[in-house]
Amino acid sequence: MDMKKNNDIMDLLSEISEMTGEEPEILNARADEAYVRLSEAGFERAALALAKQQFSLIGLFCAEAFEKEDGFTLFYAFKQAGRAPVLVLVREAGREEKVSSVAESFPSASWFEREVRDGFGLEFTGAFDTRRLFLHECYPKGFHPLRKAFKNGPLPLRETEAGTTKVGSNEARTTKVGSNEAGAAEAGAAEAGAAEAGTTKVGSNEVGTNEVGKPGEEYRFRQLKGEGVYQVPVGPVHAGIIEPGHFRFSVIGEPIFSLEIRLFYKHRGIEKLAEGKSPSECVALAEAISGDESAANAVGFCTAVERACGIPVPERAECLRAVLLELERVYSLLGDLAGMAVDVGFSLVASPFLILREEMFRQNEKLTGSRFLRGMMMPGGLKKDIPYSALKELAPFFAKFSRTFESAFERAMSSSSLIDRFATTGVVKKGLVVPLNLTGPLAKASGCPADTRLNRPYGAYGYFAPGPSVRKGGDVLSRYEVKADEIRESLKLIDRLLEEMPEGPVFAGNTLAEGEEAGPGSLSTSGTSGDSGTSSTSGISGYALTLVEAPRGQNLHWVYLKNGLVDRYKVRTASFCNWQAIEHAVLGNIIPDFPVINKSLNMSYAGTDL
Amino acid sequence: MIKPLSLFLRPKVTETFEFRDEELETLGSEIKKEMPKVFGRSLAIRELDSGSDNSTEIEISNLGTPYYDVERFGISFVASPRHADVLLVTGAVTLNMAEAVKKTYEAMPSPKFVVAVGDDACNGGIYKGSYAVLGGVDKILPVDMRIPGNPPSPKEILKGLLALLKKASE
Repeated sequence: MDMKKNNDIMDLLSEISEMTGEEPEILNARADEAYVRLSEAGFERAALALAKQQFSLIGLFCAEAFEKEDGFTLFYAFKQAGRAPVLVLVREAGREEKVSSVAESFPSASWFEREVRDGFGLEFTGAFDTRRLFLHECYPKGFHPLRKAFKNGPLPLRETEAGTTKVGSNEARTTKVGSNEAGAAEAGAAEAGAAEAGTTKVGSNEVGTNEVGKPGEEYRFRQLKGEGVYQVPVGPVHAGIIEPGHFRFSVIGEPIFSLEIRLFYKHRGIEKLAEGKSPSECVALAEAISGDESAANAVGFCTAVERACGIPVPERAECLRAVLLELERVYSLLGDLAGMAVDVGFSLVASPFLILREEMFRQNEKLTGSRFLRGMMMPGGLKKDIPYSALKELAPFFAKFSRTFESAFERAMSSSSLIDRFATTGVVKKGLVVPLNLTGPLAKASGCPADTRLNRPYGAYGYFAPGPSVRKGGDVLSRYEVKADEIRESLKLIDRLLEEMPEGPVFAGNTLAEGEEAGPGSLSTSGTSGDSGTSSTSGISGYALTLVEAPRGQNLHWVYLKNGLVDRYKVRTASFCNWQAIEHAVLGNIIPDFPVINKSLNMSYAGTDL
Repeated sequence: MIKPLSLFLRPKVTETFEFRDEELETLGSEIKKEMPKVFGRSLAIRELDSGSDNSTEIEISNLGTPYYDVERFGISFVASPRHADVLLVTGAVTLNMAEAVKKTYEAMPSPKFVVAVGDDACNGGIYKGSYAVLGGVDKILPVDMRIPGNPPSPKEILKGLLALLKKASE
């Protein structure tokens, strides 16, 4: 297999023309990102060639009325492992509403295509899975919220949703499903009954309610039949304080023979909400994608806007952003280390990690006023500077932190019963990493040193790179070790960042817009800088893609601005891709090990469901 | 060399954790005082996520960590709605979750109380106006108490629970 690395964007482009035998139309090119439009035949040839060269499909998204186009435009973002640019193949679907699927060559495309199908109503011919993804059965047929013709707002079906005019057929369905979680389980799938209302006018707000109550289609889970095979449905409501999702296990005796996950119970319509908003309004939405990735997603969004509009970011703001991103990583991963210990019943180890995490939250609050580091980011820098006194406290805090952390980690690693539960459990094979685009600690524990901070440095990471951490086992134990390593590396990074923290403003928008010097960034000037932040993006049209390394891995943000307003905002969190690994990781394991496997992968439901 | 006696004498815990938050202790003792009036000596809570960003979940689960450890005040989080006095709902209630939310509530024995936690659960918050949410727990369940915040801190959640106890005993 040809494993040639395309480190340079020009090499990559010349190779594309070689692959396809046509001169590609380059729409837009930056040093690490190129948009190439190909003919339909050229696209199919290129996709096959890219799959052979071990490219991952890291994102696939759609936009309507993109630039001068009238219909739907599809964007396929590809990237090779390691330090490589992102190649975006642009495919015009026009108003055809039918394009060929690439899921055979790129397994990660399956969910992407289902997502586009729900959002825009495009059909992918040759796709092996054409079920709905984020629109459950409660949504009417023919409803595609991301089409421009649909103006965001409550659906007229709402009354039925709330159950006031619920019609019969639900009963039979729920009893079939099983009795876990006191009947609350599987409600999402059972909900089909009343809500699968009649056909609607495509993409318009007029949803026909004439057929409300007609029994809808039930979500078809994979059917596995045979002697001794039985199914265990779990969720969407789980026993603990966790997010909703449905897991359908097929078991033969003890070992899990197949798992199918069904998510998107938390679909809140974030991408649609972003449309028509100004970039500075959208930051709060980005923060609401997933609570424990608030900083990462806010930085991802802001960086995309900055790239699209060419807004410079002052050095100090870049460095402070990096500090906040690393703080987020540390508190997030501490939660994983504690949760994994709890899931094997070892709270003695979990407690010190939880204590440290709470202390982190308190530090966060001192630094930013928010325990989740919210309300700091804005396109062009930070809304406010972090007071010197709070920053100064970090070094002694982390010195004490390290001691407690290491003693707790050593205690965990010296427990034979913990090792026994972790080792060889929930293995994610290395071979899955590229086809499913697995990233973050998950990929690192399976032998792939994938890290956006190293592979596509953004902000301060160009100068402050973390050390690599890799394990080969791919099991829960490897992930435990990788997560601990990540915390150590983050602490080192924070230390270096604090030592070399540049002075200066944290917002440069003013200099761009009005030729004025930004204030010293104290609290009092945050209001005025907020206003000028809007002005520096006003009237600008453009688009850009950013990748950020959130605690869970690579998050993709793509922003398309039209006249200074967000026309399309696409987010793909690491969890979206990583979730698909769990169906493989649990095979051959037993259901009692599922919680610890799930926790070790720790995907965000909110970040996936959007 | 291991001294056999030390195995018995050495404390079996990690470093002693010294931390005392007077405000939290006062809150806790008030909760303990208020609780027997309606709920016996314990309050059983079922947490339900109806579509939040996960930050509110994190703060609710923080109530069980050593810094707060609310079980000592008689508050416990239970696995089944059948065992619960209070349903703590987070999130703006997505269409995809609406049915499950209703069923969870119906599975609870009466008398039962519903508490909406977080801005989105109180009135839809940032998701207000989206096609995908109902826009607040009160659209689907009778809500007895609202705890706003983005997300509310663990102490604010405790204060809300205390207010619920007071309201219930009225």
